[in-house]
Amino acid sequence: MSRLTTLRQLVAHFLRRGRFFLLPLLLVLLLAGALLLLTGGLSYVAPFVYTLF
Amino acid sequence: MPAVLGVSAHYHDAAAALVIDGKLVAAQQEERLSRVKNDPSLPMNAIEACLTLGEIRSTDLDRVVFYENPYRKLERVMVSALRGFPRGTAFFRRALRSQLGDKLWVLDDLAAHLGVPRKRMHFVDHHESHAASALFCAPFGDVPHSSIAALTVDGVGEEETTAIWRLEDGRPRRLASIAYPHSLGLFYAAVTAYCGFRVNEGEFKVMGLAAFGEPRYRDAFDHFLQVEGGAFTLDRAAFADHLDGARAFGRPFVEALGEPRTPAQKWNYRGQRIQGEDARFADVARSAQDALEDALLTLAEHARALTGATHLVLAGGVALNSCANARLLREGPFERVFVQPAAGDAGGALGAALLGAQDEGDALALGEPFCADLGVPIRPATAAAIADALGLRTTAVVDPNETLAARIAGGDVIALARGRCEFGPRALGHRSLLARADDEALRDRINARIKKREPFRPFAPAMLESTAPALLRDAPNDMTPYMTTVCRVRDRSPLQGTTHVDGTARAQTVQSGPLAPLLRCMESHGLHSVLNTSLNGPGEPLAATEADAIDVLIRHKPDGLLIDDLLIERPNR
Repeated sequence: MSRLTTLRQLVAHFLRRGRFFLLPLLLVLLLAGALLLLTGGLSYVAPFVYTLF
Repeated sequence: MPAVLGVSAHYHDAAAALVIDGKLVAAQQEERLSRVKNDPSLPMNAIEACLTLGEIRSTDLDRVVFYENPYRKLERVMVSALRGFPRGTAFFRRALRSQLGDKLWVLDDLAAHLGVPRKRMHFVDHHESHAASALFCAPFGDVPHSSIAALTVDGVGEEETTAIWRLEDGRPRRLASIAYPHSLGLFYAAVTAYCGFRVNEGEFKVMGLAAFGEPRYRDAFDHFLQVEGGAFTLDRAAFADHLDGARAFGRPFVEALGEPRTPAQKWNYRGQRIQGEDARFADVARSAQDALEDALLTLAEHARALTGATHLVLAGGVALNSCANARLLREGPFERVFVQPAAGDAGGALGAALLGAQDEGDALALGEPFCADLGVPIRPATAAAIADALGLRTTAVVDPNETLAARIAGGDVIALARGRCEFGPRALGHRSLLARADDEALRDRINARIKKREPFRPFAPAMLESTAPALLRDAPNDMTPYMTTVCRVRDRSPLQGTTHVDGTARAQTVQSGPLAPLLRCMESHGLHSVLNTSLNGPGEPLAATEADAIDVLIRHKPDGLLIDDLLIERPNR
């Protein structure tokens, strides 16, 4: 739950600063991170992650 | 009874500081307990130590304050990566992985580790933490707040690298700032890497090296670092911090200055001179140091114009450049200058805790002399038990100061551990190695056999404040008790072992504390000062606990270790 607080504060920060152009990149990165966490780094996720990292 | 914990972590030199009822009760660097030099990890050992010293549990904390804004930091990393795209993609990947891997979630991790609700977790800006650590710890109780300006200068915080501050309604207010990528900290980091030293660790070495050189490369550095109108800019092509944080310098550095020095190569040093190809690196260091000092003087002039203040405090990693601080006091527009000893990122925890205490409604006691002995204590009984188990010789001495003075006067190098560990990089007598300050051969022995460090690096003398005018050309000032400045040594002062090649010494002037009674005893042996260096070996953090101090005795072989009245010696000495 506390991570949701961080996510909320993060999005609020980017909106407040008007950094809208960064939001798509941030969203993709966070989704990739969440995917890794949820799947425990399953091999079929790897190709998507390698293109980013 | 509000209890506020300040935390700095995840870059380098993590630390914790605890303020209870508006009073600073403990501050501890993580490296001293984890034994990893400049340890950046979440400082759970340091937090635990602070809570123990404050005699509270983590659940008693009313507020935990992190020393920087993790969201602004992430934003800066993303913006600079997009600006530099496609260059620096590999560095960007590493930086983002680090940001999104743990740095972004630091408040959650702290809450989970401490068992404190997330809503008690807060953050302040990086440079505001620095400013608070300097403004709230300055010994300027006799002047109004409006007479004090703060200058914070480091590599980079969230995006600021430099800021000018003033206290308004008891809170630091930012009046001007300079943003990344223009940074004096990154400028000096590039020179550090170029001279073959590790960034964030070797900056002191560059400062020491500079004394041997001539400013032959000043024109090149004036091009790399342009100062104008109270501000400065870097020629970005010459710097590579956005591509490789460890290398930090770009191709124009090499074109203007020649090939960089190979790290860990033996120095060509003989008879107090740096020779051969290494002389070029001394000249580079001299040129860079002069450029840095001139930039800081310009910033100080700007701070004076903006604030009208007569007193200046500095913080941030660049404020640990003691040579620059001396020049700021000597040639700058301020009557008094103060730099507290934990001016780097560790001190950010201190500032964050003090700002958090203000937010809890605490009235901070401002203007008091800063006491640096804020860390873990050392206990002779524990040390005796360890020493006995290791078969070391222990003696309970009747007059420890006289015993210590006699041994030092006789040419021994003695480790001294008394009371609580210092906060900040300087050993101020609580965890120190001591020797005669007038013996050059002894200095070379300590450099070569105990500290095993570069032969050109100087040691510092400690002396009673009342004795200082006879030994130093510069009067004791607000920084000399903390070794955050250097002083010019008088001709024929008996400080041969602690005077640098340029005739200066990073002198510590003592009025009270663990070195005061020792220095009084040394007078009866005809000695007016003592060489004081940190109690550690090469690449190690300063000793903190009994085990660390004994470890230094066994591995690096000083002639003895004194912990309060307990003298410990190796059996085969």
